[in-house]
Amino acid sequence: MRLARRLLVALALAMAPPAFAEELKIGLAAEPSAMDPHFHNLTPNSGMLSHVFERLVETAPDNKLVPGLAESWRTLTDTVWELKLRRNVKWHDGSPFTADDVIFTFARAPNVPNSPSSFAAAVKGKTIKKIDDHTIEISTPAPHPLMPNDLSNLLIVSKKHGDGAKTEDYNSGKAAIGTGPYKLVRYVPGDRVEMARNDAYWGGKPQWEKLLFKPIKTGPARVAALLAGDVDFIEDVPTADIERLKKEPKLALSQGVSRRVIYFHMDQFRDDSPFIKGKDGSAIKNPLKDTRVRLALSKGINRDAIVSRVMEGVAIPASQLLDHSFFGTSRKLQPVAYDPEGAKKLLADAGYPDGFKMTLHGPNGRYTNDVKIAEAVAQMFTRIGVETAIESLPPSVFFSRASIGAGGQPEFSFILVGWGADTGETSGSLKPLVGTFDKEKGTGTANRGRYSNPVLDKLIAEAQATVDDAKRAEILARASEMAMQDVAIIPSHYPVNTWGARKGLKVQPRADEYTLAMSVTKE
Amino acid sequence: MSLATSPAPAAIDGKAVPIETPLARFVSDFCESRVAVAALAVLVLIVALAVLAPWITPQNPYDLAQVDVLDSRLAPGEKSFKGPTHWLGTDGAGRDLFSAILYGLRISLSVGVMSGLIAMALGTSVGLIAAYAGGRLDTLIMRLVDLQLSFPAILIALMLIAMLGKGVDKIIVALVAVQWAYYARTVRGTALVEQRKEYVEAAVCLGLSNSRIVFRHILPNCMPPLIVLATVQAAYAIALEATLSFLGVGLPQTEPSLGLLISNGFEYMLSGKYWISFFPGIALLVTIVAINLVGDQLRDVLNPRLRR
Repeated sequence: MRLARRLLVALALAMAPPAFAEELKIGLAAEPSAMDPHFHNLTPNSGMLSHVFERLVETAPDNKLVPGLAESWRTLTDTVWELKLRRNVKWHDGSPFTADDVIFTFARAPNVPNSPSSFAAAVKGKTIKKIDDHTIEISTPAPHPLMPNDLSNLLIVSKKHGDGAKTEDYNSGKAAIGTGPYKLVRYVPGDRVEMARNDAYWGGKPQWEKLLFKPIKTGPARVAALLAGDVDFIEDVPTADIERLKKEPKLALSQGVSRRVIYFHMDQFRDDSPFIKGKDGSAIKNPLKDTRVRLALSKGINRDAIVSRVMEGVAIPASQLLDHSFFGTSRKLQPVAYDPEGAKKLLADAGYPDGFKMTLHGPNGRYTNDVKIAEAVAQMFTRIGVETAIESLPPSVFFSRASIGAGGQPEFSFILVGWGADTGETSGSLKPLVGTFDKEKGTGTANRGRYSNPVLDKLIAEAQATVDDAKRAEILARASEMAMQDVAIIPSHYPVNTWGARKGLKVQPRADEYTLAMSVTKE
Repeated sequence: MSLATSPAPAAIDGKAVPIETPLARFVSDFCESRVAVAALAVLVLIVALAVLAPWITPQNPYDLAQVDVLDSRLAPGEKSFKGPTHWLGTDGAGRDLFSAILYGLRISLSVGVMSGLIAMALGTSVGLIAAYAGGRLDTLIMRLVDLQLSFPAILIALMLIAMLGKGVDKIIVALVAVQWAYYARTVRGTALVEQRKEYVEAAVCLGLSNSRIVFRHILPNCMPPLIVLATVQAAYAIALEATLSFLGVGLPQTEPSLGLLISNGFEYMLSGKYWISFFPGIALLVTIVAINLVGDQLRDVLNPRLRR
């Protein structure tokens, strides 16, 4: 009898089709640039690696901060925070997670070589001290109310595996040992990322046995793959297809406003900008240093047209660095109104009555409709006299050249780019985008235009040291107003993100745009 | 040109042909196929439309000041907010598709013809030299040709474009690099045959210079297969350019050729906006089919073995 039962079990196991293995196949629009959690502060990287690694403080889908590897946190004095680390957390290899790992992560994060956009901002200015294996203290020179927000941006790596490990060691999987719900099995750049369930996960058994991430760059191909059942879940449903897919009975869509802004960064540090020429092709002084020119370009952009015609309604015209619904934004700011005549007048006032020639660089396929937005903006600029050519580059090439292409300096003159406020509030955009570029202080880490305003820097620093929420929000709002008055950047729109999944799966949209297997549940 | 070296036989199709020059014979042979004549007519029309595009299109689709994103994705026959009707609709950037197709044809045809001519000149010279010089040089050149032909054309073109960058001139360079080997191999084969004929021997006896023998005597007799190859290659070059543009490595986004127009419209295929890809696709298809039909008939007419 027992033998018969065993046989039956064996037979059942042998016959079980692979479909019974709970595998979730995910179609990605943009693939991560590395498996090193501190190499590149980029949404596809942070999203992907959230499966393998974890943060001390995690962000819930609605942008609220929740305990992660830190069970609780509190301030001891104005400048000292105490964090209680979660016990019984094990790395994927079974070794225990302790305070030493956190201290190691703090040392490693700002010092990854060749990082196109580092995590220095989250770590700089903080002194970390181990109290015991599961308690740490972090102190700052001034009060720092954003401590939990900063920590919600930093993935913790294991000291044992990360000591001396290079980015390549994470890519090969050797050092990619995390505490997260899934283990990295294989990373084949350009083709796939495979993960397997971490059965010993402290937060309970994860839902999916296996994960397969496939980068499918082209929108229609991604949708076709979902319709055909090749993947179960896709990010960035092309805006052109949303209306039609809503009626598709086999699929379920979910949408949410992003904490990202799509904007333009302008070269404001070189006297001769490499991609700007006079109308006759002659060399001219960099016009983007003149606030009037920057404002003219901003007025030349028809944001409503971009939202309605290019984004097909799935976006919100932007007035500042983050949508109104987020902390620290200014209610006073409205999107700069489309005013081609006013723009021409401003250009003439600045000494460019005939405009100039410029090349707009942007990524192809990093942000929803990025190439089309660039094309539409090029049209609008050309109409106010700024003859604009566009060049779209593969995202990895684009970001590296846009950050460090010209001998460690940003290479381009005018770029289309996006920024997700990784702290979930305005200082997370202000500090890296319009703060003065300073590696030591960790400000301006993504300031590819090198705009610099000491008054604004001071305001941002002041906000970061203000413990009172209402007061901090007010200072941040003022800083936003100042940045917009200087036209430090030109905001275009805030995207609304759309995920698609096969029927029977439920996807929770996330403001941080992460595409996570943890957001997908079976109905 | 000494296209026909043998005396022309009397016309056998019953039509009276009073005086038969080689050209008249060629024309009448060509006209035997109605399909080919129709294809030629279509081709002439396409070329004329492409050449005259700046004068007959309602819009210059490459002038960003004339294109408005507010007009994007209008269905065929819909009116622009400015007034004019877009009979073939508009693409995702608001370009009038009729204008964009004609301008795209200009690029496609000129790239096809230019790259074909340069590749032909280069390949023919190399092939003739190989055939006439023989020996080690011949072996060297032909192994180079073999090597080149063993790589997929699209791969070579993609690599070259990646190295050179975007632009019409770069596309032409890439297409020449891909095509010259075909010409070299064809010409060498024909030239080897021609070389052994008596007229070459006679020319050698007369003490004519090598270059004169090669270019004035052998080359003209190698022309028929070259003409056929040129038509086939032109169609191929156009298709390859479209492929490169479709893959997004060819021409700038703001100056789309047919391939890029199709690629742009491809995004909207699933949402029912068929026209953005469909019409440029049809234009590309018709052009290539027309060239191929004309080329087929040329092959029949110029092939001595098929001559009755």
